[in-house]
Amino acid sequence: MTYSRPWRQYFTLVVEALPSARGLLPLVALLVAWQLLQTGNSPYFPPPSDWWNGLMLLAKSGRLYPALSATTITLLLGLAVAVVIGTGIGLLIGVFPRFSRAVGPLLEFLRAIPPPAVVPVAILFMGYDERMKLTVVVLAAIWPILLNTSSAAERVHPLLLDVARSFRLSAVDRMRLIILPSVVPAVLLGIRVALPVAIVVTLLVEILTSIEGIGALMIGAQRNFQSPQVYGLLVLIGLFGLLVNNVFAVFEAILLRRWPPKTQSEMF
Amino acid sequence: MRKNNFIARINWPGTAVFVFVGLAWEAAVGSGLLEYEYLPAPSAIALGFGELAGQGILAPDIAHTLMSVAIGWTVAIVLGISLGFLLGLSPTARRYSLASIEVLRPMPGVAFAPVGLLLFGFSLKTEMVVTILPVLWPVLVNTIGGVTGVHQRLYDVGRTFRLSRKDTILRIILPAAMPPIVVGARISLGLALVLAVVAEMVGNPEGLGYGIVREQQALRPDLMFAYIVTVGFIGIALNAAMLALAEALFPSFRQLRGGQ
Repeated sequence: MTYSRPWRQYFTLVVEALPSARGLLPLVALLVAWQLLQTGNSPYFPPPSDWWNGLMLLAKSGRLYPALSATTITLLLGLAVAVVIGTGIGLLIGVFPRFSRAVGPLLEFLRAIPPPAVVPVAILFMGYDERMKLTVVVLAAIWPILLNTSSAAERVHPLLLDVARSFRLSAVDRMRLIILPSVVPAVLLGIRVALPVAIVVTLLVEILTSIEGIGALMIGAQRNFQSPQVYGLLVLIGLFGLLVNNVFAVFEAILLRRWPPKTQSEMF
Repeated sequence: MRKNNFIARINWPGTAVFVFVGLAWEAAVGSGLLEYEYLPAPSAIALGFGELAGQGILAPDIAHTLMSVAIGWTVAIVLGISLGFLLGLSPTARRYSLASIEVLRPMPGVAFAPVGLLLFGFSLKTEMVVTILPVLWPVLVNTIGGVTGVHQRLYDVGRTFRLSRKDTILRIILPAAMPPIVVGARISLGLALVLAVVAEMVGNPEGLGYGIVREQQALRPDLMFAYIVTVGFIGIALNAAMLALAEALFPSFRQLRGGQ
């Protein structure tokens, strides 16, 4: 149909939206000052050059990459499951007002429980394994996706529904051709909100249970007073979060290229 | 009239489903249909509340968590609004710091727990290390957005009235930027509760977060669920209080709420 621009262009689009690199100055200045003002071997504030060495030590011992991949896989799988279930239930709620009214209070109650509080429950029920980690991530990530989908499905423009009636579309076609395309931007917005929550919960599970992952590596380093490794991993996690968010922004821009641009009210 | 209105506003089917799920859960656990070893019935959870309150540990735990929420939130609001005004009013300051903020912002709060533990051990300070930074961002970002988003025409009004710089800030920019700031503060309050609970689970053995983990390790799921429900209710109460406060202070805030 339409000529689709190469992904590289969307990448530059997102890069251009980033604030100017000059803004990194305070952060760089802080790290340089830290490196220079640091005297000898402080057990609490190791210089940034040591952080790098600490990370390299972990990489050489062969523990860094498995941990990194375990965390990434949990995050991606958890988000995928949350998107499927969240969008499904969200559409049901959005399309059937009666269903929405019936399950509303139950969902409100479940949503009020902060995701991290679910972690101990999952540990108790499912034990210390990968499946438990995944379940917790799904439970945390599902709410923003579900709520965004259902409110978008409720607010599909009446004109579009009239179109469906004029063409005598079947219920399945109406869902496939009218409602599903209208909720895609909302689903993506939901994922964007869910991403940081999912990262936090993944790390929390790993810290609490020492199931393989970056969180487990970090709390292990803290228990052994390997402060350079703790700071190194902190930077690594920060970069990981930054990367995940920006990659998703590119992905979102590519997916949404055929949708009308966001209006101000949707941004809220 | 008002009473009728209230009865009509209750979501009867929703309440029915809610009660039905509760009863079905109770019946399933009571009759042994659900064979989960650690799934307490709703009645057991309710009794758990009684037990916790009777031992006199629930109230101090709530007080501790609320206190850390209050400290973390207050620090975040004061820092966030003042820094936000500084960055919002000065394009130069913005140019030389926005990228740093964007790099630090996706940093997950829990990741600071091991650093806090390293520096301060199991203490309230560790809890604050985990809480303050993530709670700061919504206030800071919304303040910057609010201040930079003030309509040019409002500045023109200020110039027409020959307002001083101080008066422009206090009487033009502050009121105009208030709605997004309040939204940021509200998001922060919810975050502060979640992060305080997280910090108590990992870094400070006190409060509701520690209660959840302690009862999980003690294999007392009824008490654990009682703690979790408590956290949920506190979240609802804090959010409602914040909304009420915002609506009392700024009647126009009601329109913003519709936009969500």
